[in-house]
Formats: sequence, C-alpha cells, structure tokens
Amino acid sequence: MKLVIDERRCKGCNICTMVCPYRIFREGDRLNDRGVVVPRLDRPERCTNCRLQGLYGRRLCGVCQMICPDQAIRWEEEKPYEPHRVVIEF
Amino acid sequence: MTRIEFMQGNTACAEGALAAGCRFFGGYPITPSTEIAEHMARRLPKVGGTFIQMEDEIAGIASVIGASWTGTRSMTATSGPGFSLMMENIGYAAMTETPCVIVNIQRGGPSTGQPTMAAQGDMLQCRFGSHGDYSIIALSPASVQEMYDLTVKAFNLADRFRVPVFVMSDEVIGHMRERIEIPETVPIVPRNGLEQGVLPFAAGEDKIPGFPEFGRGFGVHVTGLTHDERGYPEATDPKIHAGLVGRLVAKVEDARHEIADYSVTSEGAEIVFITYGPTTRTVRQLLHDRPEAGIGHLQLRIVWPFPEKVLQAFPKARAFIVPEMNLGQIAREIQRHTCVPVVSVPKLGGELHTPDELAAVLEGLL
Amino acid sequence: MSADDWFRTDRLPHIYCTGCGNGTIINCTLEAVDAMGWNKNDTVFISGIGCSSRAPGYIVTDSLHTTHGRALAFATGVKLANPRLHIVVFTGDGDLAAIGGNHFIHACRRNVDMTVVCMNNMIYGMTGGQGSPCTPVGALSTTTPYGMGEPVFDLAELAVTAGANYVARWTSYHVTELTRAIQTGLETPGFSFIEAMVQCPTAYGRRNKLRQVSDMITYLKTHALLMQKKKRMEEEGEPIPPEMFAVGEFTRRSRPALGVPK
Repeated sequence: MKLVIDERRCKGCNICTMVCPYRIFREGDRLNDRGVVVPRLDRPERCTNCRLQGLYGRRLCGVCQMICPDQAIRWEEEKPYEPHRVVIEF
Repeated sequence: MTRIEFMQGNTACAEGALAAGCRFFGGYPITPSTEIAEHMARRLPKVGGTFIQMEDEIAGIASVIGASWTGTRSMTATSGPGFSLMMENIGYAAMTETPCVIVNIQRGGPSTGQPTMAAQGDMLQCRFGSHGDYSIIALSPASVQEMYDLTVKAFNLADRFRVPVFVMSDEVIGHMRERIEIPETVPIVPRNGLEQGVLPFAAGEDKIPGFPEFGRGFGVHVTGLTHDERGYPEATDPKIHAGLVGRLVAKVEDARHEIADYSVTSEGAEIVFITYGPTTRTVRQLLHDRPEAGIGHLQLRIVWPFPEKVLQAFPKARAFIVPEMNLGQIAREIQRHTCVPVVSVPKLGGELHTPDELAAVLEGLL
Repeated sequence: MSADDWFRTDRLPHIYCTGCGNGTIINCTLEAVDAMGWNKNDTVFISGIGCSSRAPGYIVTDSLHTTHGRALAFATGVKLANPRLHIVVFTGDGDLAAIGGNHFIHACRRNVDMTVVCMNNMIYGMTGGQGSPCTPVGALSTTTPYGMGEPVFDLAELAVTAGANYVARWTSYHVTELTRAIQTGLETPGFSFIEAMVQCPTAYGRRNKLRQVSDMITYLKTHALLMQKKKRMEEEGEPIPPEMFAVGEFTRRSRPALGVPK
C-alpha cells in the first residue's frame, strides 16, 4: 500500500500535518499549478496502514484520510509489490 | 356506481383527494380549512396513507414536498395567513418541479382578517406570491361538486406538469353543504417517470422532465439553487438560469389553452359576466331571474394560467362585468387581454354579491 | 465498498474554504453510513441552506437541498411517506438552531426515525460571518462587532430535553469518536442527533485570533470537555469553565419512534 495525496483536491490546509502520529505529512514548500502548497510526504512507508492493512485485512489508523476535509488522502495498491525497509522511531 | 351524498365542500375536497390517490397530508389547522385536515386524519390511515399535523404551515408544505419526492401524491390545505407562510416553499416546489396540491380556503385578509368569512383576496398571491419568476396552475371551484372534481383534476395536472397546483376555494364553498355525485372511479393521470440514462432535469419537447422518484436508484440531487440538467447547482451561469426559469414558466403557460377549463353561456351576448368561484352562483341566479336580458356568462374553473383566448368566445361583447370578492384582482388580468371595457365589481367584507347588486350594475350598462 | 464510493467524484473538490471542517464531517458520516451496509438506492441525504447544507450535493444518492431551516420538515415528509428510505440530514447551527429551531424541537418530540448531523461552526459562514445562536459569548462576528452578548444555545442538551432517542456531540478533531457516534445514531431507531463542532477559520477564526487552521483545531481540542470528566467535576463541585463544551454521548434511550419500518 502506498499513501497518496491527490493534488487536484488538496487545498493546503495542513490538518494532516497535525494528526499523523508518525508526522509523515510535512508542510510543503512550493506552489503547485493550482496555487496550493500541498504537504509533502516524509518517508511514507512508515505509515501503519501502508504496512499492516494487508496483514489485518482492515484499515488501521486512517485518521489522516478521515480528517482530510478535501478527500485528498488515500492509499493505493502498489504494483508490482516493492518491499520497503522501514525504520521505526521510538 | 355513482353515489349521491349531501356533503360539505371541505369534506368533498378531502374525498376528491383520496379518490385521486392522495396518500400524504401534512398540514396545520386553520379556519376555515380545518375540516379538510380533520377528514384526512380520519380517512388516510384507513387507506394506507399518512396524515401528519406539522408544527406550522411552513413545515406542512415542506413535508408535502418531501413526501412527493417519494412518488406519493401529497397535499396540504390552509387559508390566508398559512398560505402566506407557505410562499417560500411554494417557490421551492416550482423551482424543483415538485408536483403537489395546495388547497387554499380563502378568508378575509390581510393578516388575520376575517377567519370565518369568505374572500378571494389570494388570487394574485397564489400566482405571484413567491419571489422570482415561475408559473403555477390555480383552479377555482364554484360548488361542492366542483370541489370534488377539481381536486381530482388538480392532482392530475400537478403530476403532468410537475408544478404546485392550487385549489383556490373560499369559506363559502368550503363550508357549504350540497348535493354531490361521487363517481365510482375518477380519471387518474400518473406521473411520467424518468427513463434510465436520461439526465434528471433534461426536458423534451413538452418542457417537462420525467420524475426521478427517490429510492429508485436515480441518485438525483434536488436543489432550490439554479441547477443544470444534471441537477447540479450552477448558480452563476446566466444562460443556465435564463434557460431553466424560462422553461419553468413556459411549460405551464404554453399549455394554457389546452388545459383551459371554463363554461360559456350565451355566446352572442353583449353584456358578459366573467366569474370564478362562488360569485358564479350569484350570476347563475341572475341569469335565472332575468332570462330576457340576454346576459352572457363565462365561468373560469382554471384561473391561472389565464386562457385569454376564451374572451373571444363573445364576439359581440361590449362590456365584461367581473364580480369578485376582492378589489378586482382578476379583472385587471382580463383588462390586459381585451379592448372591451371591463367593469370590476369588487366586494369586500366576506359576503357574496347578491343578485340585486349585480342587477344594479347591469342596469347601469343596458 | 468504502466511504469513497459515496462521493460524486465529478463534483470534487467541493466549495468549502481551505481548512473548513465540514469535509471531515462528510467523511465521518459516509464512513458510518458505509459501515451500516446501506444501499445507495434507499438512502436519502437532506439539508437546508448554508455551508453544511451543500454536503448532499457531493453524495451520489438521492438528495434534497431544501430551503433555509426546513430540512427536518422535508425529511419528516420523505420518511413518513416512504419509511423504507434511510434518512440522514446535514444541517448547521444557523440552519437548525435559528431559523429551523421550531422544526428541530418538534422533530425531536415526534422522534421521527432519522439521523441529523449538525455541523456547528459557531457562525454563519456562507453569508460571510454573522453571529449565530451558537456564537460563543464575547466572540466577534460581523453582526456582533463588540462581542457576542447573548448566551449560546446548547443544541445537544436541547435535543435531549425535546425527546431525541440518541444525542452525542464531538468535534471535527475527534474523527473516530464522531464516526462511531454517527453510526450509533444510524443504528438507533428514532431521532438521532449528532452535533459536530467544526472549525471555520475563514469566517470565525479570522475575527477571533484563530486565523490558522491549526489554531482553530487546537481551540476545539482544548475546549472539548469529556462528558465523564464533566460529570466528575460536577460531583466534586469543581467549577466548569463557561467557554468549554461537553463532548460524548448525551443520551441513548428508546422512546416510541415515528416512521420506523415495520
């Protein structure tokens, strides 16, 4: 699974940067062609849902997707599957 | 088999509605229309319908519009002050093309006015009361029998044109008890449903889109905002607004001669009475009392949209006399369409014109 | 199926301002509706007028965007005429508490089987930031330039008193709790009322030193007082700060309801 921000929908409110327990979402620094500063993803492979959804068979955490007022955050299946090395910070 | 009964006008209205398949009534008590709600409250549960007394008339008409979107024939009944409260949602029904029937048993106004006396003062309000341009259909019964027949007709017109249809009666007819023939069945013209694959607000040649009933998988978005053919709000596009409102008005106005409902007496007459509602009865009495005078009579049963061509039924007319229980609301509309002098005979106070009063006007013209 | 399938994707992005919480509430509601396993064909979303009430336009089901304040009266008609349909009403604080107050208390009293989600942003957002019955005392708005002088309407308490079967309040920050509350509301026969406090950085925050989205979310977070904690404070005689609002479940009961399919 891969975390994706839909640049067509994001309005740059940065609420996602407040809620992610891993602080994956960071404030962006450049305007896109719609004039929106879309947050950037910092090592998104750390996301619980990306790692464990397949294992548990249900969505885990998912607060960023739920709270995103513009329906801009979602997960995509990766094809072909690429293993990631995940470093968990304590 | 036809049943003959002795019935009150308001009861006849409710019975007509039930015969037409009305299965939802949402209203609020108000003199002199309350008997309709009372009768519906008694009868609807027994025929599998729903009666609900809402918290005010605004909620009454709102619930009726909501119920209509489930495909149920729905109505409400009210009088002057309640009618004023309903105005915003009547505009909503016109904009969203929701079929519904609103019975207004008119009483003396403005404001609380004369709750127990008759009037015809809401005739312009029913046509123009809500803001913006739109068109509606208004019927005006002159007897208990017509109360029944026109209520049935109101439902058929509402479903065909997808507009709010008004039964503009008054305290005289509403509270009058009279002989009535109740037919075994009444003609029912069902709503045209929306065909699959057609946009919900895309109209054909008749300018009336098919009805996308809720719960059938159409996924229609109904909004009072200016909307495009998909039903999506497009509130800032001048072309879409002009097209939509133009169609809402045209779908009714273009059909005004086809749906016109009137009766003509003595086409060759020089002096012609034009009436709708209870004043019809006074003129009939006058015609009966003075057969020698050669008076013509036009009774309109559909007042809005106004079928102006019916005025040509009297080629020799040199005066139209329009007795009304208001200060000449429809007389002004008639004046707009004819070169023949129009004599308005207004009467306020809640009582019908007497035949003598009309005879005096007639004398002045002969 | 997931909540995503309920959106009219051709209409997104929606009209809400950057940082507006209404989108979050739509997410939570659709998540709950989806978890119920309801069919799109027999679910109807109804709303009045205002920012919150634009929500049904972004949902694929049948939807009724009605006149200001009257959504509950329309919904009553739809539900009673066809009890098979599931009804969810989106409304806002101005729509529900001010112009629609009468319909609100009577819908609660009748206990009509529907779920009402009120997005309380404490302001009239669509018209540009006028004071509403839910604007906190002292808050600035275009019609309360010297600070709101009227007390706030506690909508959840009102719904409890008026007779709703299920009442809860959460904020747009508490997405999981809110989703669970909405789902409980959808499951409960009778009238369910879920008040969702949302941020309005554009019309409310801008005039009240909460200009940033994060400031407004922090405001909601810090002013939400958990129901259990509030009860404990009351028992211990501790004063409850007047600017705090309780969050949690207010009531869950089974009074006789109207329009429940047999």
